[in-house]
Amino acid sequence: MDLSELTARCIHCGLCLEACPTYVLTYDETKSPRGRIHLARAVLEGRFEFDEQMADSIDTCLGCRACETACPSGVHYGSILELVRERMESRRPRPVLKAFTGALTNRPLLHLQLAGSRLLPGQRVPGFLSRALAGRPAEADRPKPQPSGAWPPIDPSELPPIRGEVFLLDGCVMEPLFARVHEASARLLQRCGFRVRGTGGLCCGALHAHSGYLTDARKRALRLAQALEGSIPVVTDSAGCGSTIKEYQALDPALGELAARARDLSEFLVEHGFEERLRASKGLRITATYHDACHLAHGQGVRSQPRRLLEAVPGLRLVPLNESDMCCGSAGTYNLTQPSLARRLLERKWANIEATGAEVVVLGNPGCHAWIEQGSREAPGRARVLHIAELLEASFVGSLPGSA
Amino acid sequence: MSGVVEALRRRLGGEAVLAGPAVQRVYECDAYTVEKRPPICVALPSTTEEVQAAVLVCREHGVPFAARGAGTGLSGGATVAGVVVSTRRMNRILEVDAANRLARVQPGVTNLQVSRAAEPHGLFFAPDPSSQHVSTIGGNIAENAGGPHTLKYGVTANHVLEVEVVLPNGEIARFGSRVLGTPGIDPSALIVGSEGTLGVLTEAVLRLTPKAEWVRTALAFFRTPREAVRAVAQMIAEGVVPLALEFMDSTFMRVVSESFGLAFPPQAGAFLLMEFDGTEVSTRAELEAATAVCRRCGALELQVAKDDAERARLWYARKNAVGGLGRIAPSKVTHDGSIPRSKLPEMLERIAEIAERHGVVVANLAHAGDGNLHPCVPFDDRDPDQTARMHRAADEIMRLCVEFGGSITGEHGVGLEKLPFMRLMFSKEDLEFQRRLAAALGADPLCNPGKLVPEVGA
Repeated sequence: MDLSELTARCIHCGLCLEACPTYVLTYDETKSPRGRIHLARAVLEGRFEFDEQMADSIDTCLGCRACETACPSGVHYGSILELVRERMESRRPRPVLKAFTGALTNRPLLHLQLAGSRLLPGQRVPGFLSRALAGRPAEADRPKPQPSGAWPPIDPSELPPIRGEVFLLDGCVMEPLFARVHEASARLLQRCGFRVRGTGGLCCGALHAHSGYLTDARKRALRLAQALEGSIPVVTDSAGCGSTIKEYQALDPALGELAARARDLSEFLVEHGFEERLRASKGLRITATYHDACHLAHGQGVRSQPRRLLEAVPGLRLVPLNESDMCCGSAGTYNLTQPSLARRLLERKWANIEATGAEVVVLGNPGCHAWIEQGSREAPGRARVLHIAELLEASFVGSLPGSA
Repeated sequence: MSGVVEALRRRLGGEAVLAGPAVQRVYECDAYTVEKRPPICVALPSTTEEVQAAVLVCREHGVPFAARGAGTGLSGGATVAGVVVSTRRMNRILEVDAANRLARVQPGVTNLQVSRAAEPHGLFFAPDPSSQHVSTIGGNIAENAGGPHTLKYGVTANHVLEVEVVLPNGEIARFGSRVLGTPGIDPSALIVGSEGTLGVLTEAVLRLTPKAEWVRTALAFFRTPREAVRAVAQMIAEGVVPLALEFMDSTFMRVVSESFGLAFPPQAGAFLLMEFDGTEVSTRAELEAATAVCRRCGALELQVAKDDAERARLWYARKNAVGGLGRIAPSKVTHDGSIPRSKLPEMLERIAEIAERHGVVVANLAHAGDGNLHPCVPFDDRDPDQTARMHRAADEIMRLCVEFGGSITGEHGVGLEKLPFMRLMFSKEDLEFQRRLAAALGADPLCNPGKLVPEVGA
């Protein structure tokens, strides 16, 4: 569908408004899904010229797609956003963001940046980069890679007979930045009876697509599809990658087959009866709460599976989180491009987490992981942040992994 | 023009005033999109005093103004070519007095937030428009909002005790009191439903209602819409008055099954959604009486929701149904006529005939128990011919409501949309009296102009 057809689905009812984090923070309708669609439609109808104010309206969108969950007419807001951003790029290029997106999703460049980052003073993303992206100092800390090899060896006698094979998407950041999470994902798949194949540093194009670099995203998607030939499932432990791959048809119809093979880790584990194995694991005596990553809850409709897995962990008490599916402000590169709105969402998320009294907050996406974990470091006594793969693997090991 | 923006910025602070071409586009209409009027700017006051300041600035500059909540109104009540005064940032619940069953709230609170705050005390705010998770108390009061559960508990007017208003001249006034039965001529009763023409609401004391101990929700499917609404008329005639009694036709059934994954019996052409509350004994008895009427009227199938989750799913689908019409066309108008319930079967047949004659789709849903019908016309607003046909069909439907002894609006208000139809319902003298009354209460050409009561002789 083109932009005109996509926006025509919106009948302006406004039932999305309260779901939109930027509307709820500002009560400015130009920062609401209905307002953003209205502007896009007005441009298409020739009633409005793209301007700085519209740029701000579109730039401040998190792309969390909570409005899609709320929309009774099934408006594909995520696709509208990507197409509008693509059009805006020709009117108002953002070369720094484009270069940064490219650098973040390039394995050798990322390693180089991480090495360089150790030499910088302080915690935050460097000032020159933040000023170029957001025009102000950064709120986000520089990423701190998790150590690899953090888990004890698995006793092969613990593993069930192999019943199949899966790809586990290594992606751009999971393996280099979240090694402990990613190793846990692989171990859980083995414990579920699957042989795990890696995918190397190939990028799915998610960050590019969300920023409107659709040609670039398409190229990456086709390259990935070529590399992952065959018919075995493709499991992701990064919600943003998972939702993008599942919606690959929007980039190229030829990618439909790969899209159909994509599964979020929690979804895959539940589909393969993993709750039973979890119930027989050592367990963890903790109180935990669950944060819904936008690209799981709104992007993929994956809400019940992670909760079912957590409830199967012996000794774990799962407590509900208020506004669990409201964006934390990380949103891909959002905490770099819109630091002040991102900060307000992070504080709101932490106020809700603290109200639960949970010792651990569990989630399923690297962006939320890094950002909410930063919030955990910033105030004493706050809950620990773990990816669901880490928590489930810890239930087999019998204790939570050491601090990163 | 720019003078008013600057003056507002000085009084409210720069961050509380939105201006510029994008703002003018976004705020050019509410959920009634047929008429668009770009505002000069949008003021977002946070206190009563700031609302007063905004109104005074508008007066000084001779600029019209209108209050806006979430902009979910369906008749253009918040559309103004002047200053939009958005009360959305005034969103605090100031007090929940459980012992006296009332809540004092600011106008920008959503309807559902009031019920959520009341819930721990076993209370709720009874008026429940379908937009309740988004629409604000200010807008609900301005439009005298209804909703499915008003059949038993009454509309917004029955649940407002006291209001604080910044009058069109900038004075702050409080009307009504915290107890039922304010003596004398009570202007608070006139504020409700005045569509923002008598000032900007800044605070309200609302009645809260105790939740019944027992609730049951059932669906009755019928082959034709006529059979379904005949059952409604019969139920009311026999003195069976459910908590809610909602009607939906086959077009809406298709929309909600696509949108919310509900499955319906394939031969069904309409259904009734019925809800009963009270004690266990009374609820069971009412449910039985209602299902007996449905069977006699030819119901194909009856289903009772098995748990709260299923009840919630049904209501979610019902309340979001109109929002799902984007699956049919890029725009829609939601009409809102009320007619005597006994006329419902004939009304639906006449509407079908009108739709066919004008070549438009009319999807019907109704708070059938109240005789409040919502014929919705999905259309493509980019096609002038379709738009014209939609208007002609709407015009005939409105005339029919009046012909049947009903009203041109049950709960959505007159706004811009129904203004011309007011003359169908009222004589010149009636309208003149309404204008005099409004003027006595301080109505002013600057305060939400061109709404509610048409110019006499115009």
